[in-house]
Amino acid sequence: METVAPFAEIVTEIKEAGGDAFTYCYQCGKCDVVCPWNRVTQFSIRKIMVQAALGLPEIELDEIWRCTTCGRCPSLCPRGVDQIDVSVAIRRIAAAYDVFPASVAAYSTAAGSLAADGNPLSAERGARAAWSDGLGIKPFAEGMEVLFYVGCYYSYDPRMKNVAVATAELLNAAGVEFGILGSRESCCGESIRKTGHEDLFKELARENIKAFIDAGVKRILVSSPHCYHTFKNEYPEFMVSFDVVHISEFLAELVEARRLELPGGTNGGPPTRVTYHDPCYLGRHNGIYDPPRELLELLPGLELVEMADARADSLCCGGGGGRIWAETSKEERFSDLRVGQAVEAGARVLATSCPYCISNFEETTLSLGEDAPRIMDVTEVILEAMKGATAESPPTAPDDSPPENDASEADAGATAGNGGTP
Amino acid sequence: MSNGRSTLGDVMVVGGGISGIQAALDLASSGYKVYLVEKNPTIGGKMAQLDKTFPTNDCSMCIESPKFIECDRHPNIEILTYTEVDTVEGEAGDFQVTLTRKPRYVNEDLCTGCTVCTEYCPLNIPDPFNQELSENKATHIYFSQAVPLVPYIDERCLYLEDGRCSICEGVCQNKAIDLRQRPEKQVIKVGAIILSPGYGVFDPQLRGDYGYGTIKNVVTSLDFERLLCSTGPHEGEILRPSDKTHPHKIAWIHCVGSRQVLEGGHSYCSSVCCSYIQKQVILAKDHHADTEAFVFHNDIRSYGKDFERFYRRAESLPGVTFVRSYVEIGREVPETGNVTVRFATDSEGVKEEEFDLVVLGVGLGPPADVHGLARQFDIELNEHGFCKTNPMNPIETSRPGVFVSGAFQGPMDIPESVVTASGANALAGALLKSRRGLLDTERVYPEERDVSEEEVRVGVFTCHCGANIGRVVDIPEVTEYAEGLDKVVHAEEGLFICSTDAAASIADTIREKELNRVVVAACTPRTHEPLFRDTLREGGINQYFFDMANIREHCSWVHSKQKEEATAKAKDIIRMSVARTVGLEPLQEFELPVNKAALVVGGGVAGMTSALGLANQGFQVHLVEKDETLGGMARRIRTTLEGVDVQAHLRELIRQVYAHPLIHVLHAATITEASGYVGNFVTTVEAEGQVRTIHHGATILATGAAEYRPTEYLYGEDERVLTQLELEERLAMEDETVARARSLVMIQCVGCREEGRDYCARVCCSQAIKNALKLKTKNPEMDVYVLYRDMRTYGFKEDYYREAAEKGVRFLHWEPEGRPEVEPGRDETGQPVLQVTVPNAILGQSLAIDADLVVLSAAVAPSQGNPELARLFKVPVNPDGFFQEAHVKLRPVDFGADGVFLCGSAHYPKHITEAVSQAYGAAGRAVTLLSHDTVTASGSVCEVEPAACIACGACIDVCTYDAIRWGGTKAAKKAEVIPALCKGDGLCCSNCPTSAIVLRHYTDEEVFNQIDAALSEAWSS
Repeated sequence: METVAPFAEIVTEIKEAGGDAFTYCYQCGKCDVVCPWNRVTQFSIRKIMVQAALGLPEIELDEIWRCTTCGRCPSLCPRGVDQIDVSVAIRRIAAAYDVFPASVAAYSTAAGSLAADGNPLSAERGARAAWSDGLGIKPFAEGMEVLFYVGCYYSYDPRMKNVAVATAELLNAAGVEFGILGSRESCCGESIRKTGHEDLFKELARENIKAFIDAGVKRILVSSPHCYHTFKNEYPEFMVSFDVVHISEFLAELVEARRLELPGGTNGGPPTRVTYHDPCYLGRHNGIYDPPRELLELLPGLELVEMADARADSLCCGGGGGRIWAETSKEERFSDLRVGQAVEAGARVLATSCPYCISNFEETTLSLGEDAPRIMDVTEVILEAMKGATAESPPTAPDDSPPENDASEADAGATAGNGGTP
Repeated sequence: MSNGRSTLGDVMVVGGGISGIQAALDLASSGYKVYLVEKNPTIGGKMAQLDKTFPTNDCSMCIESPKFIECDRHPNIEILTYTEVDTVEGEAGDFQVTLTRKPRYVNEDLCTGCTVCTEYCPLNIPDPFNQELSENKATHIYFSQAVPLVPYIDERCLYLEDGRCSICEGVCQNKAIDLRQRPEKQVIKVGAIILSPGYGVFDPQLRGDYGYGTIKNVVTSLDFERLLCSTGPHEGEILRPSDKTHPHKIAWIHCVGSRQVLEGGHSYCSSVCCSYIQKQVILAKDHHADTEAFVFHNDIRSYGKDFERFYRRAESLPGVTFVRSYVEIGREVPETGNVTVRFATDSEGVKEEEFDLVVLGVGLGPPADVHGLARQFDIELNEHGFCKTNPMNPIETSRPGVFVSGAFQGPMDIPESVVTASGANALAGALLKSRRGLLDTERVYPEERDVSEEEVRVGVFTCHCGANIGRVVDIPEVTEYAEGLDKVVHAEEGLFICSTDAAASIADTIREKELNRVVVAACTPRTHEPLFRDTLREGGINQYFFDMANIREHCSWVHSKQKEEATAKAKDIIRMSVARTVGLEPLQEFELPVNKAALVVGGGVAGMTSALGLANQGFQVHLVEKDETLGGMARRIRTTLEGVDVQAHLRELIRQVYAHPLIHVLHAATITEASGYVGNFVTTVEAEGQVRTIHHGATILATGAAEYRPTEYLYGEDERVLTQLELEERLAMEDETVARARSLVMIQCVGCREEGRDYCARVCCSQAIKNALKLKTKNPEMDVYVLYRDMRTYGFKEDYYREAAEKGVRFLHWEPEGRPEVEPGRDETGQPVLQVTVPNAILGQSLAIDADLVVLSAAVAPSQGNPELARLFKVPVNPDGFFQEAHVKLRPVDFGADGVFLCGSAHYPKHITEAVSQAYGAAGRAVTLLSHDTVTASGSVCEVEPAACIACGACIDVCTYDAIRWGGTKAAKKAEVIPALCKGDGLCCSNCPTSAIVLRHYTDEEVFNQIDAALSEAWSS
C-alpha cells in the first residue's frame, strides 16, 4: 500500500475556497450509494471528501470533475456535508492551476466565450435576441410586469429556441406585459462557477446585476432552473435580491388568476402518457416539484405518469456542474438511464423544464428510434394542447435542423446563433 | 387489583413498562403505597413486544411477565391501566394528580377474562401488539400475559362507531361489558412521582425512509421482533409480508432515523440498535440455519457488558456479512416482491444486492406527545425532547419530587431502565422517609391446610408457552398422559400458565379439587418457581408441595426438530416430576432479623453516591476505601464530555459524605474477613492500624476499575506517548508539551476488543472526543487525529462526535488487520516526531502522520482486588474480571448472593453519570432489604441427623458458603448447619459417609422416586 502524508496547506486552500464542509464527513458511504455515477461506473465522492479532509485531492484526475452537482448526496448526507461545495472548491484549485483533463477541456473554451460574449456557446453577444426576430417582443422597460430573462441556450441553441418562442407565445396569450434585455443579458454564470471559475462567475453576475438595476427590473422570469438557482440563491451574495420566478410557477400563477385559459375537457382519443422529469436545480435544489405537474395535469388528453426515480429522488440527466460541456462516453450517460425509465413508465412524452435535460435526453432518443418518447419542454406541451394539436404530432414550430446535442462543439452553437426564426 | 378507590398514596409511577414496573416493585417493597399508571390497556411496555433480549437471548416476555404478576399481587401496588394523567398540582411531598381513566367498556371487577366477547366480536382490526401485522378482534385482551387480564374494546368498535352492534354485551355471562362507559376522573394524592413513560419508536413512514409503507417487504425492527416471536402474527414463523413465505436473504439497515442532522431525523445515536440487530440476526439464523444476512452499518456500537462477544458471535455465523456502509433501496422487484439494496464498498464501488426482506433498525425517540407530558408535569425537556436531567443525578427532573427513570432520560437499554428505576426508589425514599411503612399493607394468605392425613392428590398443569413448547411438544397428548398417571387427580393445559388468570385458576383448582401436590410442566424454576410457589400459598397449601417439570429448556428448545421424541420426553419429565412430588414434605421458611446498616466497599463516585443514597433514607452506612482519600478514579477526571466540573462535584460529594452523621468512613482499609448472610453480615476491616468488626445487613461492592497500562505503541518507552487520563491531567496543568504540540494522534481500543481483554471499554471514544475538543479549544491550529475502529459515542454523545469533526478533528478508521504503527522519526524540517502510519481503506493508501504526541485510549481494566473480594463475599466475576450480576437484564445491580449488590465500574466500565445512576440503583435495591425488620430464608436447607454424624468434618470442608460449623457437645462434636447461610446445593450430602446430612426438599426418597419413575417405563421413544 502506497504511503502518503496529509497536506495541511491544501486543506487550508480547500477551506478558503469554500469547501470546509468535508469536515463533518464520517465516511458512511451514503453519498456514493446515492450518486448517479455509480449506476454507470465506479466513482467515489466519499473518497474525494476524505482526500479533501487530508489535503490529498487528485486535481489532475477526471474524478474531481465528475460531480454533476445534482444535489442528491448533500440532501441525504446524515452528517450535513455539502459535497458540492467541496467539489467546487477543489475545482477552483485545479482551475487556478489551469489543470483540465481532456474530458473537460471544453470548459476553457466555454469560459473564454463567456468572458468574451457572455455566453458559453461561442455565439455573438449581438445575436442574443435573434430568436425573437419578427415576434414583436419588446425590450424590457421599467414598469413592465416582468423581465423575461431568456438564458443562453434558449437564445442560441436551435432546439431550445423553440422553447423561448413557446414561452413568449404563452405569455402573450395571457396578456403578460414583458420584455427582454437582448444583448444586455449575460449568462447567469451558474454552471461555469461549478467548474471552478469563480472570478468569471462574479464578473457575469455583476454584469447582470448592473443590467437588471439599470433597467429597473423587479421581477425576473426564467426558463432555466440553473438561472433560477443562481439568481435566487447565489446573487444575494452580492447583496441584491430580485423577485425570481420560474416559468412553471409563473404559468401556474397565470392559470390560477385565470389570465391564461387552458383548454378543458378531453381531446377525444385515448390519453397520451406524459411523464415529468424533475430537473435537479428546480426540484432538489429549490423544492419546485408541483407547479409543472399541476399544469400538465390540467391539460386535456394527457395522463401524467411517474418514473421510477421521481421528485426528490429524480435521476440527474448528467448536464449539471458544467458537465453539459464535458465529454461523457456513451456508456456513462445518465440520460440513457433516465429516458429508459420514461419508456418503462410507458410515457410517450418526456416533459421537463431545463435546457440541459432536454439536450441530453434528445441526444439519447436519437438512438432509440420509434420507441423514443418525445422530449418536450413543459411550455411546449401546454402550447401544443392549446393549439389543439394531438400529442402524437411533432412539437410546435418544428425546426428542421437536428437538435443541438453537444454544446461543447461551440461552432454548432454559433451556427445556431446565426440561425433564423422558427 | 385491590378493592376500593383509595385516593392517598405515597408515590405515583407514570408508565408501566419495565422501568415503571421495577420502580413500583422497589418502592412497594420498601414500604410505600404505589399507584402504577399506564396509558395502554396492560402494563408491560415495549419489552413485552420483544422476542428475546440481548446479549443472553432470554425470552423477553418470559423474564418480564413474572414481574407483571408480582406487581399485580403486591399489596402496596395499585395498577391503573388505560389511564392518563391530566394535571399535577402541588409540590414535592404533596402532589395532587388528576387522572382520566379511559373507558375500556369492560368492567374490570366483573370480567373473568373468559374472552367469549372476543369470540363473538364480528370486527377485525389490525392488532397493535403485533405492530398491525396481524388482526385481532375489536374486543380483545392486549396480549395473553396482560395485567389486568381483561379485554378492552377498541375505539373502532362498531357500536362505538354508530351503534350497529352490541353482540358482546349479550354474550357476556357476567354482564361485564358496558358500552356506555365514559371517561372517569380520579384524583390521587402522592408525595413523589416517578416518570417512566419510555420512548417512542422512529416512524420511517413519515419521510418514506427506505420505502417503508410503500414497499411491502420492508419492515421495522420492531415489526421483525413480532415476526420472530412465537406469539407474533405467524406464531414465530418468519414470514414476509408480501407473500407469507420464508425470507432466505435478509438485509438489516442501521441508524434509521438516527445519527443524522437531516430534517425529521435524530442527531443522536439510539444506543440499542446495533445489539438488537445482532440479536435478530442470530435469531433469524436460529429459525432458519440457511438464512443469509447482510448488516449495513456505520460503526458497530457494542459498548455494553458482553456486547462485544455478542457482536462477534453474530459476525462469525456462516452467511452473515457486516458491511460498513449506509445504503439506499434500489427497487422493488415486481415479480417477486424482493427489494434491492445499494451499498458502498471501499474499493469495488457501489454494489446492489437483492433481498427477500429488509429490516430497518429504527431508532428511539421521545415518548408520544412529550411536550404535553412536559407541560402536565411542569418539567423541562432537553434539545432532543427527552427529559432534561442533571448529569450528576440523571434521575432528577427539573421539578423537585418528580423523578425520571428509563428511556425518557435518553435512549437506553433494559438494564439501565431497571437500574434507574431502583435509583428512583432511593431518591423518592429519601424524600419520603418519614412516611415509609405508614400505608404499607401486608400480604394476607389463606391459612395453610394440613394435608398430613390426606391421600396424595397431584394436579398437573401443562403449558404451551405460546408456541415455545406447543409447537414442538404435543401438549394435549402430554396432558392426557399426565391425567392417567398414578396419584394424579387433575391435569389441564394452558396457553400461558404464568399469566395472571391461569395462576389464579390454579389456586382455585387446588381448593376445588383438594390438590395437595402441584406439578407445573412449563419452563424453568429459575424464573418462575417463586410465582408458582406463591400460587400454592394462595391455594392454601404449603408452597414446597410444588415441582416444576421443565419441558421447555430441557425439551422443546433443544429438540425443536424432533417433535415426536420431544413429546415422549416431556411425558418422561412429567412422570418423574409427579413421582418426586409424592414424597415432598411441607417445609417452613423462617424469618431472620435484618441489621439495618450497610457496608459500601469503595469510596469512589459510585460508592459515595450509594452511601449517601442509603444514609439519606436513614440507614447507617460503613464506607470502606482502600486509599487514604476518597474519590477513586474520578480524581483523575477534570470534566465530563458534557462539561460538568468533576472535581467540584467530587469535592461536594466528599463533603456530604463526611458531613453525614450516618456515614462512617474507613480509609486505607483492607477487608480481611467476611462472613454472615443476608441481613446479618459480619465483615472485618483493617484500617489505619485498627481492626474493626462491622455488622451490616446489606453489602454494596463499588470497587471501581483502573486504566490499563499499555505495552503497545511505545508507551513507557517514549515519553511522547501518553494515555488519555495522562493527557487530561496535562491539559489541566497547562502542560507545555501539550500546548506546543502541532500534531497529536489518538489511537483507540488500546488493550481491548482483542484476545485477552475481549470487551469494549465503553468510555474511551467519548474521552478521546472530550480531550480532542479541549485541545481544539486551546489551540485551533493543532492537527488532531483520532484513529478508531468504531466510534462508540452512543446516545447524546454523538452530538459531540459531530462537534469534534466540525472543529477539524480528523477521524480515521482502521481494522485489526491493519493496525496503526508508531515509530520515532523526523519530519521534513528534521524535527523529531513520532511517525504514525495507518492504512486507509477508502483511499487505498497508508497515511503517514507526523505527531508530536501520541495519546492512547487505554482500556479500563477491572480492579485487581476483585478476585479477593469475590472470594470473601462469595460473588462471581465474569471472564473479563468484572463482577457478575444476578441477571444482566432484570437484576443488574443484584448479585445472586442475597443482600450483596454492586455498582459503578466494578460492574463494567462506565461514565460518571452512569455510575451515579447505578449507585442510586444499588442503594434503592438495598433499601428493599433494609427497610424490613426480617428477611425470609428458604426452607430447602440441609439438616444434620446428630445420631448418624461421626464428626468427620467432610461436610464442613466442602461447603462453599461456610454454612456448616461444629456443634454438639464437647464430648460429642457434631456438624451443625446454619440455615440462613445454606444455599441448598447438597454438596455436603453427597460427601457425608454416613448420610447423616440431608437436604430438605431434595431428600434421597424424593430423588430416588424421581429416578425410579424415569426407569419405570421404557423410554417411550
